[in-house]
Amino acid sequence: MTARTERPVVAYRAAVAAVLAAEAALLLWNAWRYDWLRGYDAFANDQYARILSTDYRLPAASESGSWHTPPLWFALAGAGRRAATSMGWEPVQRPGQLLAAAAGLAVCVVVLLLARELWPGRRMLHLVALVLASASPALVRASAMYHPETLATAFAAGGVLVAVRGLRRRWNPLDGVGAGALLGLAAVTRLWALPVLLAVVVVVGFDAWRRRRWAAGAALLATSLVLLAPWLANEEVAHGSALAFNRPSPAGSILARRPRSFYLGPRALRVFDHPVTPLFRNELLPQLYADWWGDWALTWDSPPPPAPGQLLPASVVTERTRQMFVGVVPSVLALAGLLALAVLATARRSAALAVLPLTAVALLAAYVVFTVRYPSVDGDTIKGTYLLMALPACCVGAAFVVDVLRPRGAVWAVVTAGCLAVIVGVQLPFLVL
Amino acid sequence: MTERRAARVGLIGALAVVVAQLCVGAAWSLTHDDPTTIELTRNCLVRERGFVVEATSGDAVAESASGGTLRTIVEGNLVTVSVARSFAEVERLRAAYAGSDPGTRLDVYGRYVNLWLRDPSPTQRQGTYDCAY
Repeated sequence: MTARTERPVVAYRAAVAAVLAAEAALLLWNAWRYDWLRGYDAFANDQYARILSTDYRLPAASESGSWHTPPLWFALAGAGRRAATSMGWEPVQRPGQLLAAAAGLAVCVVVLLLARELWPGRRMLHLVALVLASASPALVRASAMYHPETLATAFAAGGVLVAVRGLRRRWNPLDGVGAGALLGLAAVTRLWALPVLLAVVVVVGFDAWRRRRWAAGAALLATSLVLLAPWLANEEVAHGSALAFNRPSPAGSILARRPRSFYLGPRALRVFDHPVTPLFRNELLPQLYADWWGDWALTWDSPPPPAPGQLLPASVVTERTRQMFVGVVPSVLALAGLLALAVLATARRSAALAVLPLTAVALLAAYVVFTVRYPSVDGDTIKGTYLLMALPACCVGAAFVVDVLRPRGAVWAVVTAGCLAVIVGVQLPFLVL
Repeated sequence: MTERRAARVGLIGALAVVVAQLCVGAAWSLTHDDPTTIELTRNCLVRERGFVVEATSGDAVAESASGGTLRTIVEGNLVTVSVARSFAEVERLRAAYAGSDPGTRLDVYGRYVNLWLRDPSPTQRQGTYDCAY
């Protein structure tokens, strides 16, 4: 390798290291400063972790509102809680937050590895994917919370990475066991991993049928089921449904449970004006968008408890409104990327390319069914973090579109890097607590 | 299928989705007047909480609120909801009610001044907070 060809490689490695180091510092700082009680379901999560780590049993429905969530994260956070208690470290929930932060960083690493696996030589693509994931507000916020979402996402993304790697290279049963174990662990952390697991199984099954090689796919399915089946069986026996949730599903047709405004989002333009609760509550797309890029429910760096909208400090609304504008281009690119990967995978009959868009579509479909099945008055089932497992597909897809459509040459590489720096820089006041 | 073509197809599809959502939003904005705060609260209480809402009568303080007033029953407890348009007006309404020594029956939440018939429980209070805009 000559000095001329070596320089870009060194710059690439330095950029990756710098982004990951900055992300680690950001997530650690936020986890340290964020009041654990302000995160989603924080009190219920702590009850679960406490009961699991002291009584060595699952909580009853009356003891924790999170009883329907699988136990892996609670076991780990509970162990950390017990250790913190014995050492007199306050708050005892801090290890759980640090675990969420570490998992958030792992998600960023896996996004980078996914991009490298699919397009090994395209360094700008890798960097764009990494930066978009690192600066994603939903990931940064979830990484500070006392919540299992980022750990489940890290496991699920890891499982997808192993599956993509296996599909691109020569699948062997060990790859299947690895992917199945990671996806199974994701599913015993959060059941949102189930649609991801199903999507991977469908693609792997299709690939196995085409190649007439079933061992790896069977190993994947068997491993994930071994991990997941005990939890599903427990839920079926204890609560009457393997997919039980912490509230009953209303009677009547599922089609009648949400008004038209839920699907159409008529107040979508208010997103750019006042993107906080209670405006456009229970309008799926506007509320999701506002919560992913901002903080619709006001659980992040705003005065607790949330006051009625017009009495919030102006800076709180202004900061979140700025986030809404920042999010437009990356959101369009993410959607474009998912569509582009789906089109390309279909045209080239590439199972490896199909995994990412299919996992995102499966997750989105499951999420829409969930929100319709369990309508809520206060809109608490519409949260950006519920869709965190779609982040790797969205970031890699967006990076693909940017890399393919940008003009070639060193100048344009600098322009692309500059645009990324702007997207990150404008968000920093919101992302750093 | 080249990568560039796939990316273009994806971009066109994504822009179509965004434009469709913006069209729905724009059409709604053009054909609907923004409701007032008290109308939003009334709609929320009736449609989302399932409460019966009626006009306030016999309460001169509430009827003087420039943002409007309404009455409803939350979990068996009658509440008169008044909406102020400024902090100064919130204080005026609070002071006007304070003369009758309402204690915890008087609940101020942002621009909302709520007078309960009996001391409200946390869930009763939350019933009105959920519809505060």
